[in-house]
Amino acid sequence: MSGSAEKTEVLIVGAGASGGVVGRRLAENGIRVACLEQGYWPDPATYPAPRPEYELLSRKQWSGSPNIRGLREDYPVDDAESDIAPLMFNGVGGSLVLYAGDWCRMRPSDFRVRTLDGVADDWPISYSELQPHYERTDLEFDAAGLGDDPSMPPGASPPLPPLPIGKGALRVARAHTRLGWHWWPGTNSVVSVARGSKRVCVQWGTCMQGCPEGAKASTDLTHWPAAIEHGAQVITGARVTRVVLGPSGLATGVEYVTLDGAERRHDADVVVLAANAIGTARLLLLSACPGHSDGLANGSGVVGRRLMVHPFANVTGIFDEDLESWRGHVGAKIVSYEFYETDASRDFVRGAKWSLAPTGGPINAALPTRAGESVWGAPHHAHVRERLGRSMSWGIFGEDLPDLENRVVLDRTLVDSSGLPAPKLHYRASEHSRRLLDFHIDRASESLREAGAHLIDVERLMRYSGWHLLGTARMGCDPANSVVDAWGRAHEVENLYVVDGSVFVTSGGVNPTSTIAAFASRVADRLIEARRDQRVAI
Amino acid sequence: MEPVAEDGVGIELRLRLRELADELIPAADGMPAASDVGVADVQLDRVLAARPDLVAPLRAAFARPAGAAVEWLERLAVEDPAGYEAVLLAVVGGYYTDREVRRRLGYRGQEPNPVQPEIIPNYVEEGLLDAVLERGQRYRDAPEERSEPTTQAGDP
Repeated sequence: MSGSAEKTEVLIVGAGASGGVVGRRLAENGIRVACLEQGYWPDPATYPAPRPEYELLSRKQWSGSPNIRGLREDYPVDDAESDIAPLMFNGVGGSLVLYAGDWCRMRPSDFRVRTLDGVADDWPISYSELQPHYERTDLEFDAAGLGDDPSMPPGASPPLPPLPIGKGALRVARAHTRLGWHWWPGTNSVVSVARGSKRVCVQWGTCMQGCPEGAKASTDLTHWPAAIEHGAQVITGARVTRVVLGPSGLATGVEYVTLDGAERRHDADVVVLAANAIGTARLLLLSACPGHSDGLANGSGVVGRRLMVHPFANVTGIFDEDLESWRGHVGAKIVSYEFYETDASRDFVRGAKWSLAPTGGPINAALPTRAGESVWGAPHHAHVRERLGRSMSWGIFGEDLPDLENRVVLDRTLVDSSGLPAPKLHYRASEHSRRLLDFHIDRASESLREAGAHLIDVERLMRYSGWHLLGTARMGCDPANSVVDAWGRAHEVENLYVVDGSVFVTSGGVNPTSTIAAFASRVADRLIEARRDQRVAI
Repeated sequence: MEPVAEDGVGIELRLRLRELADELIPAADGMPAASDVGVADVQLDRVLAARPDLVAPLRAAFARPAGAAVEWLERLAVEDPAGYEAVLLAVVGGYYTDREVRRRLGYRGQEPNPVQPEIIPNYVEEGLLDAVLERGQRYRDAPEERSEPTTQAGDP
């Protein structure tokens, strides 16, 4: 690598949720920051919602799978040896651009799994340490929900009122009242009422293919414009190839290639990795160098290991009533934490959160069901009429306990469009996870039947559900078995930080984005507070 | 040699697709047959304009010998999953993007429908949350102190 490099005080790799939180916070506090993002700024004018071919486009160009999209800015992931296919979006805003907006917190017990249940490990931080950052990022991401939910500790209510839950969720809420089970209106990072110049949700029902209204929070809208206003740089089409160390063993910056093939260097006093649990692990492994022969900051050997993705099941109820179930926000109409915490009477520990979601349009209703049932010939029309607009799905997010054998490694043959080794996943859902899902599927079926569903379709361990990428650079106090400390700082490289879902010690059983954002907020504040004491390469 | 249209699918493929599509989606229950709405003609053009990636797997699928529709499709699902998916998307995608089909189903497509914040939710009027609140705390308390980490973690 030759030629001069740009230099900023902080360099962030990845412009998604965590990168956006850190970038904006640092820039607003006068720190010179740049972000390298291998994708580009998304263009909401291209989002497919208004097009009649929406459902066709959502299965290719707007798929969550980088392998299906196959864009130059994506990197392929070898998932042949994984039970679950990874999903993500590479671009400014990151996977938030294509996520559902389900904005929920981990519970206090999630941070103390070893202490309470004797499995896995405790986090080096607690719920109460993260709570102020949850409340702050609730504001930044336009959380719309209802306070005083008894399934979580007291605290500030979400800043915006909840979105409408719709007819289907109302039926299920009534059913849970009869059953005596917990339910609550879902919290979503979607603008629910007029607030300044922000656009309000108009219920396209297409959150997972980009919000054409701009009402769903993603950092291309909520964070990076403000960061740029305060001097931050976002360099797109820039794929980082390795983190560079200087003679002192501290990071001096990164090398990257543009998607046109030009090689570049960017120097920085501090490097922050925010590239998701696959991208960050891959980059650390790609950054192997003398003194870090198994990957950067990998003296523990756990970089890439303990991959968690949340085993996921979908339980769909078919109702007699027209519920207009292609409408409305996709994240969570309502949620239930009735079976979230450990119960000694079950044959598993931990639990799962449920989110009730709409079920899409006619192509979704016509294709083989989640249970694999195809109906053709004359009965096809009744089959579609029976489902279209008349079904609701409980999405079940099971806690995924960490396992060293579930891991990200570098593929020996597969490469991305820049010729860099692609990541390869080894992931198997455990018998424990399967028992957990079986229990929850039975309870969710009971819920929907009580609500009046006359048919139940079940998809167990859904393959294309790998949105929640966690755990491959876990935080901890002991450098022998963790990669970063409680502030996201690499034990072995004092000016290298990880702020994405890689740092998760355990997965919880909830959508992780709110926790990822809260942790990034905590690290950002620490970077600002400890700025003068930060060791940097000379 | 089979004439191939500019979109990459030939006349023979369209003929076979039309025949297959009508067996999968015949006229019934007040709904038109697949061919009535041009699933192998104008609607196939529409599907392939949106999804040009389907051309190659469609051609590969229909290069296979013909057979009874459902049995042919079931065998395709096993032997050529990409071709199977392409055929289903061509048939179903073409049929359900047709305006008249949608009208008969009462589906107008994804469309904006502004939130009405002034409406009091039914669940509030019905007092459904009161029962949840009356049950009290539903999360487990956890200590601030933590246990020492382990080196290997997994199933209990």
